[in-house]
Amino acid sequence: MSPPYSTLANLTRPWAAFSYGFLDPSAKREMRRKMIKAIAVPGCQMPYASREVPIARGWGTGGLQVTLTLIKPASVVKVIDQGADDSVNAASIRRFLARVSGAAETWDTLAATIVQSRHRIPEERLRDDQVLVLQVPNPEPLRPVQPNMSIARQMHADADYGRLWLVLYEQMVRSGRIMQGAAYPALVNGRHVMTPSPIPRWDVPKLNMARHLTLLSAGREKRLYAVPPFTKVEPLVFSDVPYKVEDHASLTCYRSGLRGVFMNEIPQAAGGSLHEASDSHLGIKAIRRAEGEAVEIGPLWYRDGEFRG
Amino acid sequence: MADPVATPDDLRDNAAFEALMWAMARPGTLHDLPEGLTDLVLALVDRECRVLVDDPALAQVVAATGAALVAAPAADHAFLTRVDSAMAVLAALPAGSPLYADQGATLVLPALLGQGQRLRLTGPGIEGAIETAVGGLPDGFIALRAARCRYPEGVEMVFVDGSRIMALPRSTTVEGM
Repeated sequence: MSPPYSTLANLTRPWAAFSYGFLDPSAKREMRRKMIKAIAVPGCQMPYASREVPIARGWGTGGLQVTLTLIKPASVVKVIDQGADDSVNAASIRRFLARVSGAAETWDTLAATIVQSRHRIPEERLRDDQVLVLQVPNPEPLRPVQPNMSIARQMHADADYGRLWLVLYEQMVRSGRIMQGAAYPALVNGRHVMTPSPIPRWDVPKLNMARHLTLLSAGREKRLYAVPPFTKVEPLVFSDVPYKVEDHASLTCYRSGLRGVFMNEIPQAAGGSLHEASDSHLGIKAIRRAEGEAVEIGPLWYRDGEFRG
Repeated sequence: MADPVATPDDLRDNAAFEALMWAMARPGTLHDLPEGLTDLVLALVDRECRVLVDDPALAQVVAATGAALVAAPAADHAFLTRVDSAMAVLAALPAGSPLYADQGATLVLPALLGQGQRLRLTGPGIEGAIETAVGGLPDGFIALRAARCRYPEGVEMVFVDGSRIMALPRSTTVEGM
């Protein structure tokens, strides 16, 4: 060690009601260091300390810490909960982010600089300058086949992923098709298998060779990982069983008339069910456009239920 | 609730990290720091870090953050202001392991961006391939980098030219041209 030694006195800052962006500078520096390593090794889970934030663990604390590190007064944040901007969880997180940072809030994917999301990726294509922050409940794709974290770490080190194919094979044998609906395991950059968070199969191709940067963060499990732009994200499949997304091509949103996007099924009391667009603000934009308003809808990832990138 | 106040320090650290994050996410592209090398030090390191520095003035800045000043084999970050020791430092910095890839170090060093040796980069963050030029590096530096970056082991590199930076994460494949 060489002088000057840092002391408590010279590391202390003047009193403030709270740090900008809620997290203290030390917490942000740790997040930054880990985010850099996560981007450098796509899909590899990086441990981090995971500070306390004023929501309960498991409700988006991981995503929140990433967003709080990135946020600045000029940021425009969109927060999604299962496709919706207006659920309690999404609205609370969005309002909190704006309050502690002075950033602007939006529902519009096109206007956002940071999109924090629980379990959906917007239907409008994300651009080069946008960051997608996914909240992750369980970051370990190997947990169903290996509950011991130390052994799972060794399996990642060895790229030993055979058991994940075994899970998919057993689903084929039992059910005749792959039953994995959400959090479909995917090989990133040809090396690490990650769980893309519980997004539907529909959304996994949106991460492959995308233009935007994706950061995935699990606050309760204290791990984060990343998918940089133009990075291969390949869902695990068999050579004779191609990857299939949900068959929503023929469904129509009963409120907006949208077709060929991911739908929520709404069971009806009289039997049967209606469908509505899961990306709620895309639905709103479609309704406004139908009413004659000049609304900009960005290019979509899917056309007629087919991914077109 | 009080209004959020972003201090000049907050804004500088945020801007420096944003530049570094996009530089890492898009290897081979140039990004602007608010001022220069010191911005990266202040945005990244604190008393949880072990840092190698080759310059007494910069060492004062690093020490004031609370980081420990150490030799290359123990460092998680290295900030160089000259390239004389770059080969020795790169050879000795920790590169992590397949078990703990996060323990690979970050090496920040000066270079002339947009001139000198022409490089062709491929890998994550790059659409197809990108050609760039980095000058002022010691002979054999790119070859030594390839030897140290045995993915997923490796060292991240940030080239600093005044206030401009370019990054090479370990995932990037570099070919001389």
